[in-house]
Amino acid sequence: MNASVGVFAVSCTREPSTGARALQREQQLNRFLAEIERRALRIAEIALRDRDEALDLVQEAMIKLVRNYSDRDEGEWAPLFYRILQNGIRDWHRRQKVRNRVMVWFGKGTAADDDYDLTAQAPDPAGRSPETEVQTHEALRRLEDSVHELPARQREAFMLRTFEGLDVAGTATAMGCSQGSVKTHYSRAVHTLREKLGDHWS
Amino acid sequence: MTDTRNDEQLQEQAKALFDNSVEELDAATLSRLNQGRHRALEELQRPGLVTWSRWAPAGGVVAVAVVAAVLINGPGGEVTMNGAVATSDFEMLLEADSLEMLEDLEFYSLLDAVDEEADGNVG
Repeated sequence: MNASVGVFAVSCTREPSTGARALQREQQLNRFLAEIERRALRIAEIALRDRDEALDLVQEAMIKLVRNYSDRDEGEWAPLFYRILQNGIRDWHRRQKVRNRVMVWFGKGTAADDDYDLTAQAPDPAGRSPETEVQTHEALRRLEDSVHELPARQREAFMLRTFEGLDVAGTATAMGCSQGSVKTHYSRAVHTLREKLGDHWS
Repeated sequence: MTDTRNDEQLQEQAKALFDNSVEELDAATLSRLNQGRHRALEELQRPGLVTWSRWAPAGGVVAVAVVAAVLINGPGGEVTMNGAVATSDFEMLLEADSLEMLEDLEFYSLLDAVDEEADGNVG
């Protein structure tokens, strides 16, 4: 009798099996990615001004996170994910720069930002008056234009802090720089945006 | 004081607009995100994942060392680039998430060639 109680107690306190741990980790990763993916897409889209490219970069970042950092502590995932994503965005801009130069050499013009049509990307109205809808889209367009025009590091700091809600330490990890640099970039970004948007946002 | 309040107001408005745009993502986009997430999670099932991640840092350091030697000494043992360029390239290569760039060395060689060409044209 006592022996069976002892066996039961041991079985109840045993560590989860390897398979159970793997399943648990997969569920944690799934929850994390599902929670972060939509904001990540919009952040990438504002930086690239191209939704398809942004979707590709976000998927690539998810794959790299799972492949390289799935064994890290869950709290580290967000800064690591955004570090991968920001590196991808920087590489994309470098490639785009070369591509545009090559296109100019061959006389085919450049892939201008003007091709990006925010209205075409916008979802259908959902229960708001047309006036409100137009005002919201106009405000969003101004915001996206202004954020996009910021220097790259200021844009990264602003989007990670304001849109994603990372703290200074997490933003520093994601940007690969010191916390002091994050504060400087962020402060300059807010100052610039306030100057640009002040008339419309007061 | 007023500046601080204006800054906070700007951040709140920007966050609200951004969150609204996130909520309004269309079904097709959400579906593609969902597919991408599941494709990423399939990486967990790949055999050899643990082995790769265990040896990746050491492999990366060796690869970077080899690339560094080639970039600094060149094929004929001559110095082929200045210190500033070499430092920025090494910083980029040493980023843990950018080891894939080693596979794109040809592209980045082209990039450098393009930059040099452009500088030459200006000067």
